[in-house]
Amino acid sequence: MSSILRFPSMRLLGCLHPQHHQHLLHPVLSRSVTQSEYRRPGKPREDKPPWQKINFSFSKGLDGIRKHLTLLKKEFLERWVGPQGKPILEHMLEQNRVVWEFRGPESLEQWTVSSDFEIGGQSEAYLKLGRNNTTCFLYGTLRSTPPKDGETRYSGYCSMRSKQPLASFDRKQHHDWTSFNTLHLRVRGDGRPWMINIAAETYFSHQKDDIYSYFLYTRGGPYWQEVKIPFSKFFLAHRGRVQDDQHPLWLDKINTIGFTLGDKADGPFQLEIDYIGVIKDYAHTEEFAYELYKRNPEV
Amino acid sequence: MNPYIMSIFLLGLGLGTTITFMSSHWLLAWMGLEINTLAIIPLMAQHHHPRSVEASTKYFLTQATAAAMILFASSTNAWITGQWDINELSHPMSSTIMMLGLALKIGLAPLHTWLPEVLQGLDLTTGLIMSTWQKLAPFSLLMQMNLNNSVMITMAIMSTMIGGWGGLNQTQLRKILAYSSIAHIGWMILVLQFSPSLTLITLMIYIFMTLSIFCLFKMNKTTSINSLAMSWSKSPTITALSPLILLSLGGLPPLTGFGPKWMILSELTKQDLNMIATITALSALLSLYFYLRLSYAMTLTLSPNTTPITNQWRFNTKQPTIHLSISTMLSLMLLPLLPGIMTIIN
Repeated sequence: MSSILRFPSMRLLGCLHPQHHQHLLHPVLSRSVTQSEYRRPGKPREDKPPWQKINFSFSKGLDGIRKHLTLLKKEFLERWVGPQGKPILEHMLEQNRVVWEFRGPESLEQWTVSSDFEIGGQSEAYLKLGRNNTTCFLYGTLRSTPPKDGETRYSGYCSMRSKQPLASFDRKQHHDWTSFNTLHLRVRGDGRPWMINIAAETYFSHQKDDIYSYFLYTRGGPYWQEVKIPFSKFFLAHRGRVQDDQHPLWLDKINTIGFTLGDKADGPFQLEIDYIGVIKDYAHTEEFAYELYKRNPEV
Repeated sequence: MNPYIMSIFLLGLGLGTTITFMSSHWLLAWMGLEINTLAIIPLMAQHHHPRSVEASTKYFLTQATAAAMILFASSTNAWITGQWDINELSHPMSSTIMMLGLALKIGLAPLHTWLPEVLQGLDLTTGLIMSTWQKLAPFSLLMQMNLNNSVMITMAIMSTMIGGWGGLNQTQLRKILAYSSIAHIGWMILVLQFSPSLTLITLMIYIFMTLSIFCLFKMNKTTSINSLAMSWSKSPTITALSPLILLSLGGLPPLTGFGPKWMILSELTKQDLNMIATITALSALLSLYFYLRLSYAMTLTLSPNTTPITNQWRFNTKQPTIHLSISTMLSLMLLPLLPGIMTIIN
């Protein structure tokens, strides 16, 4: 150890924790190898090496093989019918399509619910099927007390995001909504302003949090609310910050849709969704609702 | 874009291709190819849309890899044989690597996977430049090399089949044109070793037909089959003519597109490659299917629409129509000239 301390950089490192010289290198290496980098607060620390985490089960393996081979067969066969598994006439005449419909417990498997509990906050969010198994019910409590980690200043959000569609063997698939131009939802909220976030497929790693958002103002009443939002209204935001360089949402590779609540009002919330669909609105001809920011305007 | 900068890029494109055309040294040819790549990258990314940037990144990576392969092959050949001349690429390893590099440049199967994604991310004008102009320089190099191996014919047949099957279930027009480009390039490469002038004629006719198709889509401002179906309300005349352009791309007589295919099949039969000619002719049927599907969606069906949209044909288009008219005439009417053309090139 003293030979290492001859190098100036190691001496600098050594002055940080003078009493832990000999433990500096070894535990950091082994912990980052056996765990992923971020640990959700509240989850116990897992120090198991990777080979002990394998859960081997023959029947689950066979089920998985059967599921993937069925999906593969379906992919092959639907190519014979037409684009996206529908004949061309049906594809051309299609004017509405229901993309997510909550009619049974398996429909809830396609959604992920999260809240600021992951960063140490106190909000809670749960998802269940609504009355008669015909709607989904997102409910919980919002609390905007920031977590006590010294760096988070604001908190209090919860969201529900759909999982990315997967083809056979867990390959990424995308929703292709080029024939449509409007999002149609039937919701029953509680009067709070929600945000709808659509994530499209990106290429670079710094674009992975690029999300197109728009607002969903709910009425609180017992009556259902039909909301139609054209895709031209969605604006680009990255990690919540609206970008200067806006561009329209391309509909040919949509990954996920999500609903977020973060309106700084503490208390219980609920959102009931009947279905989420897309519509081709022939009367809507707007391409993009916002002014495109030209950095060098032509004179 | 600033017109001076735009003219620099367009002139750079012309310069790159011209340098490759007139070079007899491999390094100069490689330089022309690189100038071409670098000039078109800003044109592709000019809208700064994430998909355009993705397309230009993928294009740059593939073309740079191909240029590296070309450079490697030519310098290996120079190392072994001492020859830098383009038509003296004699060592078999060098000529194979060179062929693969040029195949990656033009999008020949199995090195074709970048082409649909890249074309999908571009706007129609830049897609046109990429499909037509960027093919000229690699073809000029391919035609000057004396190649006589079966890898080339294998790649060509794979291209015609992959171009046919890949385009079958697409609804995005740019991807359809990408797969049609792959199939046509397959046809061109088939006869490269037997009759390079026939390859050149096929390339020219393909460029006219692709030009007319892109101009058609630009005039209708459409990028998918569903919006193409609206063209009956925008310009009924061109809606009536465009199935002919599509069938010319598919290679049906008495349109121009039939001529190259006919001549290629007869050349293959003369070289006693009857099975290959049959397979290629059958795979052309696949491409014909999706061209027919496009013409079905556009002309043979009248899609529903709202009343105000159906009055668009009453207004003249503001875009220049000269490109569309000339290229349409060329892609429909040139077949009677075929005997004269073949006499000149043979």
